[in-house]
Amino acid sequence: MEDVIIKIKGMMCAHCEKTVSQAALSVRGVTKARADFNKGELKASFDTSATDLETIKKAIAASGYEVMDEGEACPLPVKKLKPEIKEVHKGTGMNKASFKITGMTCASCAANIEKALNKKDGVKNASVNFSFEKASVEYDSGIVSQSELEEVIISLGYGVAKSEIVLKIGGMHCASCALNIETALRKENGIVSATVSFPLEQARIMYDPELIPVQDMIKIVKSVGYTASEKLEKFEADREQRAREAEIKTQRLNLIIAVTLAIPISLGDMGRNLGWAFVPGFLMNDYLLFILATIVMLFPGRQFFEGTYKGLRHGVTDMNLLIATGTGAAYIISVAATFLDLGAAYRHTYYDTAALLIMFIVLGRYLEALTKGRTSEAIRKLMGLAAKTARIVVDGEEKEIPVEDVKVNDIVVVRPGEKIPVDGGVIEGLTAVDESMITGESIPVEKTVGAELIGATMNKTGMIKFRATKVGADTALAQIIKLVEDAQTKKAPIQKLADIVAGHFILAVHVLALLTFFFWFFIGFEYFDVPVTFGMGTMSPFLFSLLISITVLIISCPCAVGLATPIAIMVGTGKGAENGILIKGGEVLEKAQKLDTVVFDKTGTLTKGEPELTDVIAVKGTENEVLRLAAIAEKGSEHPLGEAILKGAKARGLDVPDAQEFRAIPGRGVEVKYSGRKVMIGTRKLMIENGMDIVPLNGKLELLEYEGKTAMLVSCDNEITGIVAVADTLKVGSKEAVDQLHTMGFSVAMITGDNRRTADAVAKQAGIDKVLSEVLPEEKASEIKKLQIEGRKVAMVGDGINDAPALMQSDVGIAIGSGTDVAIESAQIVLIKNDVNDVAKAIRLSKLTLGKIKQNLFWAFFYNSVGIPIAMGILYPFTNPPYLINPALAAAAMAASSVTVTMNTLLMKRIKLKR
Amino acid sequence: MERKPLYSVLASLATSICIVILFYVLALQKLGSNPEAYIPVDMYAGMVYVFVLSMIVSASIWPGIIEKIMKR
Repeated sequence: MEDVIIKIKGMMCAHCEKTVSQAALSVRGVTKARADFNKGELKASFDTSATDLETIKKAIAASGYEVMDEGEACPLPVKKLKPEIKEVHKGTGMNKASFKITGMTCASCAANIEKALNKKDGVKNASVNFSFEKASVEYDSGIVSQSELEEVIISLGYGVAKSEIVLKIGGMHCASCALNIETALRKENGIVSATVSFPLEQARIMYDPELIPVQDMIKIVKSVGYTASEKLEKFEADREQRAREAEIKTQRLNLIIAVTLAIPISLGDMGRNLGWAFVPGFLMNDYLLFILATIVMLFPGRQFFEGTYKGLRHGVTDMNLLIATGTGAAYIISVAATFLDLGAAYRHTYYDTAALLIMFIVLGRYLEALTKGRTSEAIRKLMGLAAKTARIVVDGEEKEIPVEDVKVNDIVVVRPGEKIPVDGGVIEGLTAVDESMITGESIPVEKTVGAELIGATMNKTGMIKFRATKVGADTALAQIIKLVEDAQTKKAPIQKLADIVAGHFILAVHVLALLTFFFWFFIGFEYFDVPVTFGMGTMSPFLFSLLISITVLIISCPCAVGLATPIAIMVGTGKGAENGILIKGGEVLEKAQKLDTVVFDKTGTLTKGEPELTDVIAVKGTENEVLRLAAIAEKGSEHPLGEAILKGAKARGLDVPDAQEFRAIPGRGVEVKYSGRKVMIGTRKLMIENGMDIVPLNGKLELLEYEGKTAMLVSCDNEITGIVAVADTLKVGSKEAVDQLHTMGFSVAMITGDNRRTADAVAKQAGIDKVLSEVLPEEKASEIKKLQIEGRKVAMVGDGINDAPALMQSDVGIAIGSGTDVAIESAQIVLIKNDVNDVAKAIRLSKLTLGKIKQNLFWAFFYNSVGIPIAMGILYPFTNPPYLINPALAAAAMAASSVTVTMNTLLMKRIKLKR
Repeated sequence: MERKPLYSVLASLATSICIVILFYVLALQKLGSNPEAYIPVDMYAGMVYVFVLSMIVSASIWPGIIEKIMKR
């Protein structure tokens, strides 16, 4: 055995690592091979009696990567390197963590948390998505722990939702047993709460998975004399749903209280000020109004003051501060007017202003909580797709177990109408599977032995047995969920502007409120002769200026600005996921707008990727006789062309008996004996060497070759009987996809390693403008680069395996595949269905989403830039009677603005991504 | 860096007091020139409101400035 390190050029990602490792492992005698793209090397162990270094290098070179020359690729004893490698890894421990955050009320909260996390030592990058209520943190676990990051969030006044699990408990006899288990669990570090139900025989535990794994909790229960097992599901989706429902419930209760009290307060306060005779006298009583308004401030209004207090304690400001300042000022001045004699100008109270402000803002929060849930519907739907249980075969018997307990290689039984629990390969049975929930393809796909199954899809017709290949977080569904979640947390560059504005918004609004107060107190009140022009009789300049200043605070809405981008990305990527289009974040959306060229990989992307019988020309006998002879000759061959001919013959229902004396002639063809006759299939050369005249058939052969087909001559007893041709044919829909892109104004190119003639033929069929042929896999990226140097913005569409470098080089890499990890890693857009038509759909969705972001930003900025000046009283000199926004109306407008942004985004869900 | 919060509070208080004094001086003039419209309650209530708003503004600005100064 020998260990070597081979230096390799051209590896760019984990996919390259995999390809190179597999290429090395494909060499007989290689026992271990591990490539590292960061280091540009492959470590391999091989049996020197079975192979040598050169063979391994050739295998790697054949996979499309460049092996560096002898001087650079010297065999090194790996053992010597081991201690160094260990040391390198010792100090670094980059980890990623995500936290579900509770208590955020606007985009400023997200910005505050993000700022605090990024300041923490050891944090490389932290990103907080307000709409998704999620923080993603990349951190060095050697410097900072996950619990410390949690502390940062909590210290800012927000919460971190913990994981929750339900354990099935056995052996309980009475309620005290439940209490014992609860006590034992609660003692443990990492367990936030534990509730054990004796009648249900279950324990619901809220815990920190970082501090205590589920198995340890089971051990604790067992240690106090009971049994425990993981029950059914981990409530990821349910947890979010419950948190959302709790928020809706709280805001609904707040709204009911606010509305119930704000109506009599308004009637009383306004009735007295405006002299409404229909209002009962007792409602106008200052003390009653004070009591009612105090209840509004203490219950529905408390959240704003609490939020302000928590924020200020940590030096951060948010939306709550604006509301608290506005409502607090109105309330305090009213209380002062109620209990103190401040003079004639201070007889008015503003309890109605405070109550109505809170009522409208709570209404806004309630509507926001309702609509926000709908924006993340897609991800919840995806989470809800997962099967809860699986039926596996243990010792020949079927046993139902929680889906989390299924292991790789378990044999799973699925009956018609049941969900396929995990990914796997069929080993028995025939069925049709509805994969629409994952791929968006509505027609059920037939599955038989050897076919791959995607977990969470629906088995429709037959019972099947399959072997689990991917479970837990490795399943296609889990990867899709992770990808969509990641995408929804990533920010689009356009959001930077919104973030800058939202980050300084609260400060700017307070400055404006202060300036407005100064202006109206010292200049405006006298200059515009407010007591006369506004028609309020005795009017205090302070109260007048205060009300305008409060209106400025209340009407300003940073929420709309902060929500505009993330909410559109969330709905857009969610809609994509529902249609089998996975978009990796906001940056892709922007890049997709600028594209002008789409480059398709040929094999496997535009074409089916495997040859198919296309033509049979009979010279002697019938077409079927020629095809039958060709199939008989190729039956023993493992060559893809031979397989295509055999498949073609079977498709025509021809009987293909076995032949004798199979002989493959390298570079020529095949020769067999059948019923005592010599049957040959192969090139012109094979026939000429066997003394046959091919001149009369040259024209037909050339025509087929011109069409990009591989033509083979068939002979029987040295007499040519006909021609068969095979070709890698276009996929159904490829031409339509290219046409669609042309209609959208794109220039469409095709890139392939095939010769010019074959490439041109396929391009002609598909209607492609530009052909890049005879391009080696490692040259694909440089061809894309050439197009980019010409000033084009290029999208590369490939199957994500040998196109990885080109996918990465392009402005937008689009991988077509079944959502494999390789495709997901290399590309920025992943089309789960194997359908090239989705390229146009993906670009259309990107445009739609970015369009929605722009619309949202426009409305948010428009609202604030129009609303704030009006609130400041800019219309006062130009209108008769002078116009000022009532603070309550400002609160209603503010609440409406963020709801409008959300509703406008939700409209996107109704748009169909037509072909 | 440990004293950053203290310096921030002191700077914010100083700024707010300056603004309130400015308001007070201007308000005194108003009280003198237009005693029918302006009364002392307006001035005192205004001073409280101005103090609250200017504290919010200056408490948002000063910590960043002090951090920059202390880093130098």
